[in-house]
Order: sequence, then structure tokens, then C-alpha cells
Amino acid sequence: MQKQRLVIVAILFLVAIAVTILVTLPPQLGLDLRGGAQLTIQVQPAENGQTVTEDDTTAVKRVIENRINGLGVAEAITQLVGSDRILVQLPGVTNPDQAERVLGGTAQLEFRPLRPGTEGEFTAQFQTLRQLEVQVALLRDDGNAEENQAEINQLEDLITAANEKILTFFDPVNLTGENVTNAQPAPLQSGNGWQVFINFDEAGGDIFAEITKELAGTGRSVGIFLDDALISAPTVGAEYATTGISNNVTISGSFDFDGANDLAIQIKGGSLPFPVEVVENRTVGASLGQDSIRRSIYAGLAGLFLVLIFVAVYYRLPGVIADCALVIYTIFTLACYSLIGVTLTLPGIAGFILSIGMAVDANVLIFERTREEIYKGNTLYRSVESGFFNAFSSILDSNVTTLIACGALFFLGSGLVKGFALTLAIGVAVSMFTAVTCSRTLMLLTVLGLPSVRQNPSLFAPNAPK
Amino acid sequence: MSLQLKFKVTQQRLLWWSLSAIAVIASVIFMVVSQQQIQTPLRPSIDFVGGTKIQMALDCTVEGNCDEPISTAEVQAILTAQNIGKSSVQVLGQDKTNISIRTPKLELEERAALQAALNEGIGVFDPATLQIDDVGPTIGRELFIQGMLALIVSFFGIIAYLSIRFKFDYAIIAIAALFHDALITAGIFSLLGLVIGLEVDSLFLVALLTIIGFSVNDTVVIYDRIRENLDSEQAGTISDIVDLSVQQTLGRSINTTTTTLLPLLAIFLFGGETLKFFALALIIGFLLGSYSSIFLASTLLAWWRGRNGNLPTVTSESVDNIDAAQ
Repeated sequence: MQKQRLVIVAILFLVAIAVTILVTLPPQLGLDLRGGAQLTIQVQPAENGQTVTEDDTTAVKRVIENRINGLGVAEAITQLVGSDRILVQLPGVTNPDQAERVLGGTAQLEFRPLRPGTEGEFTAQFQTLRQLEVQVALLRDDGNAEENQAEINQLEDLITAANEKILTFFDPVNLTGENVTNAQPAPLQSGNGWQVFINFDEAGGDIFAEITKELAGTGRSVGIFLDDALISAPTVGAEYATTGISNNVTISGSFDFDGANDLAIQIKGGSLPFPVEVVENRTVGASLGQDSIRRSIYAGLAGLFLVLIFVAVYYRLPGVIADCALVIYTIFTLACYSLIGVTLTLPGIAGFILSIGMAVDANVLIFERTREEIYKGNTLYRSVESGFFNAFSSILDSNVTTLIACGALFFLGSGLVKGFALTLAIGVAVSMFTAVTCSRTLMLLTVLGLPSVRQNPSLFAPNAPK
Repeated sequence: MSLQLKFKVTQQRLLWWSLSAIAVIASVIFMVVSQQQIQTPLRPSIDFVGGTKIQMALDCTVEGNCDEPISTAEVQAILTAQNIGKSSVQVLGQDKTNISIRTPKLELEERAALQAALNEGIGVFDPATLQIDDVGPTIGRELFIQGMLALIVSFFGIIAYLSIRFKFDYAIIAIAALFHDALITAGIFSLLGLVIGLEVDSLFLVALLTIIGFSVNDTVVIYDRIRENLDSEQAGTISDIVDLSVQQTLGRSINTTTTTLLPLLAIFLFGGETLKFFALALIIGFLLGSYSSIFLASTLLAWWRGRNGNLPTVTSESVDNIDAAQ
């Protein structure tokens, strides 16, 4: 009795935590539910037959992230899939064609010298640009990116305009990503800070020497543009006025490692000879997503409600107890989704609804066994205890086989299939837990704690022997 | 036992076996016919073969836009003008204002051109209802291979687990039963593919795997009972023990199937379009799963163990009991 009370307190404590989690961390919705575009971008092998490594794909991914920023999509997600694919999720995109066009091109990296006489204008624009970028970054990190979306879009438009303006101050000299052979971050010799190394091929080195000779000591910058957006604008020291810098270029500024690494990856991404191709595009219109959310949630609730009624009517008192356990199960499972960061998709919701069915099964197995024990003439307490004991091996075996199927789906499947497997597996695991803790404790408490129940086995089984 | 109904599943085993045999043969026939008509046993969606599917609805807030239902012929004419005449067109929705077009994989420009042509020729479509599924052929093939691999791996995983927990022959019979469930479900979808043009997508593979999990689940509960009854001092032949075990678990089988089917029925009837046929596959599969555990897995086990004449886990006590019973 004492033990059961402790367990109940523990369960209530867990429920409180779960509810807190659900309130503070609502489950994430997949693109099929909220609307948006999901693109799979494949990095193609280069024309010269060079194979794609994971590092190359990471560099391309950085380029793609730049482009997404240009699209002005809040909460976009990019991730590597395998060694040569990038999965891009763009929630709420209304123009998938534009997204595909912008993301699907080969990156364009270009070095351009600043034209004499534009220094003042450039400096002003450059400062505006940096300010805008800082503002956008702040808004994006704010956690309420969706609410700030309108503002972000506005700022993105200003950034695009600033970049367009800046581009006109620089003269093209035909020094592009094709001429870059390497770019990497390196620590400063003083040991305090980082710089970026760039190496050019021979032709590129010659052009760069020309540019730097001309710019040395003037205060004018070399503009480094990726997809026509300025990513860096270093100046050249006066000491290079006679020779220029032909190779082993270092860009130093007040870089920390992340800053240097980021710039190196951007430069590298723009110098990669790999074309990219959008191999998969799945777009769901915003209204379509909301419609299926609403309908599926209604259907799910209706289903759950029917199950609760059925269990209570058929199994009477234990049925009502099982219903309590099922509600607790639902709260726990949803909290687990939030905690583990499961993205709920339509199949995910199906997996969840299905797991409710399986959670009922555990209870059904237990009650059937309890009834049998009552019919055999055992006391209620003993019947409940051995009902749980006898049912456990069935529950274990049947859940393990389901988990095996889930495992195969999760590790071998992708996308939707993975989501389904994960939600079902979490549901099965939680249902084992609630069946052996919640249902059992609640049953024992009712049986032991309420004398009127103890003397009335027919509450548990119709036609029970008196 | 208080159960009045003496339900002896092993007695009519030939009836159950013939029923299943007929269903399996019919399924194979559907798939063969399908193979001859469309070169695949089931009608694959673009998920597996690649291609482009565009779905959208007319914007009914624009005046006069939704007055007439969309005519398939008109859409087809536009497709022919775009040189993609071999595509399939479906007009959906209550007011026939939604279209779904499936074409070979379109490049971005081709797709944009098609959308523009449709907006021009048919009416203004609401971009918020636009759904694009555009899958490259390699991705499609990969999805299919991954799915089949998942299917095979889970088969072996389940065989291994059941062999450890029970015996190897139990595992093989359970697998035979779930193969039966998966095959007939596929057969019914093959028929639906032939009759109403229903396509199977990656969700169907998910459904098949779930059916397998559920079917084994059901079989395991009965096996568990058989093992328990064999271990206890229960007298009788293996058929008697199987009959008793099925009878003892029958209530649970029916209730579990009911409670699982309730939410699925709700999804099938009221859920979104995407999940409708996913739910249908699960409903068919789960019903078959319950049927096969009760009527196939158990009767096959009784027959196999009876034929070999050796009762598993025989103790001296239970031998005496059997002798006494005879």
C-alpha cells in the first residue's frame, strides 16, 4: 500500500513534468502539416571526373545556406544526407519554383577590385550591409523567427539591394572560383586569432598579383562575392605595391576560428567544380497542410475517444482505470516527442494513433488474465497481481517484435518512413512503461484502498464467483 | 472454464486453409494480370519510379473562376501542347475544381511552363493549394530498395527473435502467416490499382511493415499461451492445447483488433487524403493479421507438431497426464 502510494506520487510528478514540457516545448510539425517545400539537392561529380567527398558537400551546403538566407525563409533547415546529398526544408515557401531556381545553380565565386573614386560610397553601403546582416541574425536567433518573418523579409530585401549596389562599385576582372585551388583557416602566428589562407592556380595568381599591386596602400578593397553577394572585402597593405600578391594569400581580420572557418568554407564552396541538381522536390501548399492537420487531429481524437468508451464499457472498473492510464500514456508520449525532437508528420500522427491501439492491447491482455484468475476463484488482489504477471511475457514478446520492425524502418528508411517508425517505437516503449506502472498501481490502489471494491469482484468481471 | 462456446479451431483447419489458399491464389492472379497490363505487379507511384505530380485547386475567391467544373479533356489538350501528352490527369474535389496531374519527371522550366499554361487555359489556381511531388528516378529506385531491404531485415529479425523466445518451427510458421497477410494486402491493392488506378507509394511500404509487426504480435500472444499450456499440467493432444489456447486468447484478439481498428476507421473516413489509403491498407492487413494468427498460425502449428509426433517441453508428469487422458 505504501509502495503504491509512492509510485502514484512518482507518476503524478512525471505527469507534471510532461505537461510542463508540452507547454514550453510544443511538438514540431513537419512540412506536410504546416506547408512548405522540401528539396533534396545532389552534388554531381565534376566534369573532370573528380568524385564528391563529404567535405565538398559540406562546402556546397554552406553555399546553399547563403542562398537560403537570400530567399528570406524563417527556420529553414539544411542537413547532409549521405556523402553527396543535402536536404533542405523551407517551411511556408509560397514560390517553390523560385526556391528551386535559386538553390539549384552552381555557386559563383568572384574576386573584384574596387573602382577608384567609389571608396566613400562603398564604405557607407558596406556598413549598412553589415548592420542589416547583424539585425537579421538577431531576429533569426530570437526564437520567434516566425513572428519576425515580415521584418526579416523586409531586411532581406534591403540586403539584396545593398549587395546589388555594392556590386556596381567593383570591376569584373575574370578571377573566379575556378581559379581557387584551396582555402582554409589557419591560426595567426601570434597565436591570438585566426586567418584564412587562399591559394590560386597560376592564371589566377597572375590576375590577383595585378589587382593587389594596383590596390596596395590605396585603402581600396578586393571584393569577394559569392553568388553576387559580398562575403568579404579585405584591403591590401602598401608593402605589396611593387610585387603584388600572387599566391599564399592570407586574409586576416579580427577572426575567431568560426569566422575564419566560415569564410574559408564559403570560398571553397564557390570554388568547387561540382554542379548541383535538385533531385527531389516535395512541396505542400500552406492551406493544404493546415487542412490535413485539422482533419487528422479530429480523426485521431475521435478514434481515441471511441477507444476510451469501448474499454470502459467492456472492462468496467478496470476499463476506467485503463482509460486513466491511456490519458497519462498520451501525455507522456507527446512529451517524449517534444523532448527527443520528433518532427510530427502525417505518417507520424498515424504512428501515434496506432501506438494508442497497441497501448490498449497491453491493458486488454492484463484484464483478460485478471478475469481468468477471478473466474478461477482467486481473491481480487491475487487476481490482479497474477494477471499482470501472466500477461507480461506476451506484452514483452509482442512489443519487441513491433520494435524490430520499427528498427528496420528507422535505420533503412528515409524521410516519412523514418518519422513513422520513430513515433511508433516511442509509443510502444512508453506503453510498456505505463502498462506496468500506471495501470498496475492504480488497480492495486483501488483494490486495496476501497473496501467496497474489494468485496465486489463483479466490478472486474461479470458473472464472477462470489 | 466458464467459456460456454467450445470453439475448436483445429477441427475445420482444411476450411481455413482453403480460404487462405483461395485468397493467396487470387492475389497472385491480380498481380500477374497487373504485370501483363502495366508491367508491374502493383501500380507504383512516382515515389518508386520517379516523375512529377502536381496537384492544385482553383482559387474560388476569384469571381467566375469556379463556375464550371474542370474538364479532363481541356487539361489533356494543354498537356499535349506542352509535349507531355502521355501524362495522367484526374479531376478531384466535390465541385471538380482540383486537378492532379502525373507526368514523367519535369525540369523546373517545363514545370513552370505547365503551371503557367494551366493558369492561362483553365483558370486561376490558388498557390496555397499547390502540391508538388517531384522525384528523380534514382531517388525513386533507392526508396524502393530501402523499403524492400527494411522488409527483409525485419523478417529475419523477427525469425531470430521468435526462434530464441520459442522454437525455430514456431518462427517459420509465424513468418508464413505474416507472409500470407502481406501478400493478400498487396493483392487487394494490386486489384485496386487495376480497377481504380490506385498507386502504391512509400506509405504503402510502411503499412506493410506495420502489418507484419501487428500480425506477429497477434501470433505471439497465442504462441505464448500455447507454450504456457504445454508447460502446465494441461492434458491432451497438441490440437487440444492449441484449441484451448486460441479459445483463451480469442476475447483479447477481438478486443485488440477492435480498439486498433477504431482509430484507423476514423482516419479512413475523416482523415486527410494522404492517409486514406494508408489507413485502408492497415485495416485490411490488421484484419488479416488477426485471422491468420487464429486460423492459420495455430492450426499449422498443431498440424506440424502433431505430424512430427513430438510434444515440446515434455515432462514426465505431462506424459503421465497424456497417457491418463488417452
